[in-house]
Amino acid sequence: MTLLIKGATLLTPGQADLHGKKRDILIEGGKLIRIGSRLNPSGKVKTISLPNLHVSPGWFDSSVSFGEPGYEERETIENGLRVAALSGFTGIVLNSNSKPVPDTSGDIVFLKDQGRNALTELFPLGSLSMGSKGEDLAELLDMQGAGAIGFSDYKAPIENPNLLKLALLYTQSFKGLVYSHPLDNQVAKGGQVHEGTVAVRLGLKGVAPLAEHLRIARDLDILEYTGGSLHIPTISSAESVSRIAEAKKKGLDVTCSVAISHLLFTEKNLEDFDTNFKTQPPLRSEADRKTLIKGLKTGIIDFACSDHSPLDIEEKRLEFDRAAFGSLGLESAFGALNKLLGAEESTAILCRGRKRYGLQEVQLNEGETANLTLFNPEPEFVLESESLESTSKNSMFQGATLKGKVYGVIRGAKSNL
Amino acid sequence: MSELSVRHLLGIKYLNRRDIELIFETADHFKEVLSRPIKKVPSLRDITIANIFFENSTRTKLSFELAEKRLSADVVNFSAAQSSVRKGETLIDTVNNILSMKVDMVVMRHPNPGAGIFLSKHVKASIINAGDGAHEHPTQALLDSYSIREKLGDVGGKKVVIVGDILHSRVALSNIFALQLLGAEVKVCGPKTLMPKHVESLGVTVEPNLRNALEWCDVANMLRIQNERMDMSYFPSTREYTRQFGINRKLLESLSKEIVIMHPGPINRGVEITSDVADSGQSIILNQVENGVAIRMAVIYLLASQIKQ
Repeated sequence: MTLLIKGATLLTPGQADLHGKKRDILIEGGKLIRIGSRLNPSGKVKTISLPNLHVSPGWFDSSVSFGEPGYEERETIENGLRVAALSGFTGIVLNSNSKPVPDTSGDIVFLKDQGRNALTELFPLGSLSMGSKGEDLAELLDMQGAGAIGFSDYKAPIENPNLLKLALLYTQSFKGLVYSHPLDNQVAKGGQVHEGTVAVRLGLKGVAPLAEHLRIARDLDILEYTGGSLHIPTISSAESVSRIAEAKKKGLDVTCSVAISHLLFTEKNLEDFDTNFKTQPPLRSEADRKTLIKGLKTGIIDFACSDHSPLDIEEKRLEFDRAAFGSLGLESAFGALNKLLGAEESTAILCRGRKRYGLQEVQLNEGETANLTLFNPEPEFVLESESLESTSKNSMFQGATLKGKVYGVIRGAKSNL
Repeated sequence: MSELSVRHLLGIKYLNRRDIELIFETADHFKEVLSRPIKKVPSLRDITIANIFFENSTRTKLSFELAEKRLSADVVNFSAAQSSVRKGETLIDTVNNILSMKVDMVVMRHPNPGAGIFLSKHVKASIINAGDGAHEHPTQALLDSYSIREKLGDVGGKKVVIVGDILHSRVALSNIFALQLLGAEVKVCGPKTLMPKHVESLGVTVEPNLRNALEWCDVANMLRIQNERMDMSYFPSTREYTRQFGINRKLLESLSKEIVIMHPGPINRGVEITSDVADSGQSIILNQVENGVAIRMAVIYLLASQIKQ
């Protein structure tokens, strides 16, 4: 099939020659054949011409959870990847929080197989420790061979510092990426929301920012001692940003991410005990939110993720203390980021991340495999529960006014346009 | 006719000053009723109220039940103590099961903050929060302010110190909201480990020294240590706590003026308050209990009149 994208404004971070230009793109056999003006190919061609069409390299999301195996009622891999594609993502990192957790190469093979025919490419994380119990290392090399692109016990903090030390040493021979969830459970114990002014008013137990940066400080000390590659997912506090900035200045191989929800919302959104705003880490103060945005813009925070966490209604329609942590994020990711930062900056952020996982950066060059996101950054819309394509509906963005319509994606010979 | 601005009593923070004044005026009337030989009015003969307690309670439950019966409401009691939760039933299901038996109003105590607010969004009945975790205990705060008004003539302009476990106390939070709404000045006093990190954001000041706090105040509200809400020791021993934050006769007599002593009960005699203080003329602890019935009658009456409409 030959595709012709007509009159698209290109947003290509890292490719100044194309950035901001209006071009036609000819795709044949899944490859970018020509990028030029007024292309007029002969033969049977499917033409894509859409209002205010913008094209960027395919977007990448570093933190997505589905539910398969074990929690299919939350989301299946098939539907989850379909939603990711509708949301503009051509690649997602799948968190290691299935049941059982993926801690063998067989588990990774299963996950890769489930996503094999999907439009959006699935990159699974493997568990760092056996059963994600935080005791003994899982077979990391073996899992990497099967397709795992990093190792994480998801949101279970690594309580034993020696385990992190061993993991960072062991993975160096095969360039494995080690995750450490930034939370000291002893300090945070039983915490439900940010330890701030709203927690006081609501009588909810707070999670102090201390619980986060105390753990980050420990992990960075270990990293400095061992070497290796460390990723700190979904940081939430201003102090964490400055700790990581210091470590980067020292030259440590550390990256971190922030959930897009934490760039838009704060503890104030919890005033009404709405469990859709209950997340781990918690939504924090306005000052934290502003520092996170700044950190993302300056690159101290390496990438923004959806931290997509589908949960079925029975896990959310409960008393606040009993409700599960997490919110959907894929379907609101672009609309939220674009509303906050504008098209140019938000697409640049959504293209970040692949390099950290040893994946090839996506560029719009003739001869390359097509990997594109097509969108219109202008229209505003209110996200309604009924419009969500995810199996679960636990989105904190429901009712929020977001900006930008994703038309679809093209990856190789596949497309949802 | 005056009516409340709310359909439920979920917390003091959802009320305005006029609501509280209306509740007090209505309670004045019921207090008079309670002094009659026949302490009962037929106002709520067509109303059924369920008292649902997911947490142990003696006095609050008794006080609500008496208030309901003095108003001639039909009353059913359900003490779950989380048993149905343990069996896997959700809160909404438990309450809807009770409501399907044609109940108009629910009085609920629950260990989780916001449980009443959550419930009010999902069931049809009018909800009265009888204490939800460390969030609010609105009727306690109303009866406390009502008792101060009774003793000192007015709450406005008075200085009130709340002493003890502020971190785990719904009584403290509701009291702070109510007292401020009525124009009182509030300080809190207690170990730093039992003080919420951002407590000043509530508009109160922290006084770490009990003597200074008592010297400053007109009224001292002595809270109980909420051992059941603590996951670990927040202070080394009761002995040390009492040494710093317990009130005794000697301390009281050394103050330059006479202050009013309150306690929401149950009292740990000899811990936060000695017997000679609890039973002294400065203490209005039993008046609080008495006023509790009148206040609860007022709240139930005012909310029920909205149901009838």
